[in-house]
Amino acid sequence: MIYKVSYVVLGGGHPGAIKNETEMPQVGAKIRLGRQTFEVVEVKQMMPPRDDFQFLHATIKLVSK
Amino acid sequence: MHDLLSIIKGVELFRGLDDDQLQRLAGISQRETYGEDDLIFAEGSPGDSLYIIVKGEVEVQMRDEQGAYHAALYLGAGQVFGEVALLDEGVRSAAIAAATPDTVVYRITRAAFQDLCAADLALGFLMMRNLALDLAFKLRHRNYD
Repeated sequence: MIYKVSYVVLGGGHPGAIKNETEMPQVGAKIRLGRQTFEVVEVKQMMPPRDDFQFLHATIKLVSK
Repeated sequence: MHDLLSIIKGVELFRGLDDDQLQRLAGISQRETYGEDDLIFAEGSPGDSLYIIVKGEVEVQMRDEQGAYHAALYLGAGQVFGEVALLDEGVRSAAIAAATPDTVVYRITRAAFQDLCAADLALGFLMMRNLALDLAFKLRHRNYD
């Protein structure tokens, strides 16, 4: 399964990202976008899955630069 | 070629294509490598290709009211960019720069893409459907912001 994830950053200080992941993001997990580390605070399905793809929204917050 | 085939099977743009169709798409794709902060294309430049990111991230850069560029979105491996100008034949609506060292993309020119779609209408339908879905995903991402 491939998880196509729309990452939206709380507070608006970062424009967010769209990435493919091989594992579903979990609340509390740390992810890297560029040089910055973020924590996942919420994950929602954006659209119904199709074939091997799932489409997700993940809200994240900055942990460190 | 084998590596590219395994990579593009994980790209949503190519969802639903069979191995033969994927092989033909791989055949019209040109590999390009960029260093961090390298400009891949400038806003306002002619849009004659779409790009698939296979390694690293790119930064979509747009101008604000004062004309200063700022990051509008980051795209990671498996994502597509440059598709708007490829479809509408307009100029690039944003600048794209590599955001990571050793960023690898594959470029497909409009001419090669259109030839392939015209020669195989089933492939053309799937590619256009997938492009529309990718644009819908980006629109939803933006609206969620």
